[in-house]
Amino acid sequence: MSDLRRSLKPAPPPKPRRLRFVAAGLLIAAACIVSATMGAKAQSSILAPATVVKPHAYASLNPVPRGKEFQVAVVANIVNGYHVNSNKPTDPYLIPTTITVEPPKGFRVVDTIYPPGQEKRFPFSPDKPLNVYSGTVTLRLKLVAENDAALGSATIPLTLKYQACNDAACLPPVKLPVKLTVQVANAGAKARPVHTEIFR
Amino acid sequence: MQGNRMNRNCTVLCLAISSVIVAGSFAGCRKLTKSDLNVAFQNSHGTEVSLKLPCSNNCLASLKGKVVLVNFWATWCEPCKAEIPSLIQFQQKYSDKGFTLLGIAMDEDGASVVQPFVEKMKFDVGGHPTGMNYPIVIGSDSVADKFGGLIGYPTSVLLTRDGKIAKTIVGPLTPEDFRDIQALVGS
Repeated sequence: MSDLRRSLKPAPPPKPRRLRFVAAGLLIAAACIVSATMGAKAQSSILAPATVVKPHAYASLNPVPRGKEFQVAVVANIVNGYHVNSNKPTDPYLIPTTITVEPPKGFRVVDTIYPPGQEKRFPFSPDKPLNVYSGTVTLRLKLVAENDAALGSATIPLTLKYQACNDAACLPPVKLPVKLTVQVANAGAKARPVHTEIFR
Repeated sequence: MQGNRMNRNCTVLCLAISSVIVAGSFAGCRKLTKSDLNVAFQNSHGTEVSLKLPCSNNCLASLKGKVVLVNFWATWCEPCKAEIPSLIQFQQKYSDKGFTLLGIAMDEDGASVVQPFVEKMKFDVGGHPTGMNYPIVIGSDSVADKFGGLIGYPTSVLLTRDGKIAKTIVGPLTPEDFRDIQALVGS
């Protein structure tokens, strides 16, 4: 019966051969465009290593009197979708995030304080959580302006080292220079706390 | 009596000479396993590139006439390390069919970090702790540039038997990538 019905149904007119070729070509082209776009998307999601973290440095006092200890905060904004290793990564081969100072004459580093990282699992490490920083993270230093620190404006060169990854791939380690300028005043000068939202 | 002593002396001397020869040949072997590895291919512009890269593991391997999967990795790269067991497995399966992996380690500290890692690390391959069974050489940015440069790790470059770049894969290899390699190997 169904055979009969099928035989009664008028057969669709055969597509001209050229048209079929054009249709197939269009399909292949569309597939190529889709796969190329996906590939391009995968590649474009990989950023240049130095652009993954945007650090800004702040001092806790203005001015900084000679002989006085002050704090420096490096607020690092990590691009969404990326993470960097914490200062205490879970694996000895992983590169820790560090902040270092080359103190100019008259400045001394007292301490460097890293926040704890977060234990997170990633598609490439589903069973072994990694200790990482993501989002915004603040690294802190304690410095002292010694009595021989030059009065006036002083630049303190900081270096942020990190190695970033997203959920699928990693970027090479980067050393990013971060500049901080402080005003040095005479010992006993009134030091005004600044950026109190950071130095609570 | 004197003849006996002479014989004994001769035996001692012969043993000493043999030990020196054996020790020398072992030293030679060690040197061979940590030599340079020649890597020749055609870059994306069709230019023949020939590199001599310091080797850390399986250095006696030859790449000539083989389908080669060049895998850029680093000891600090977790996604790279995560795919090593599947690379070991692939090498086990296809190394006698005209295929080889070539790991290019991109650690800044080079062999001083990579060599102990390769010697020490065992990966879970089907429940068995297994070492990296393919050649590992030490790379650099200039080496990576010859392959078209890197934007992330891992990056794998698939070379045909005649040394042409068939495919560059950024990120971990997918089942589709492994199928492409199998197709090139011809199995």
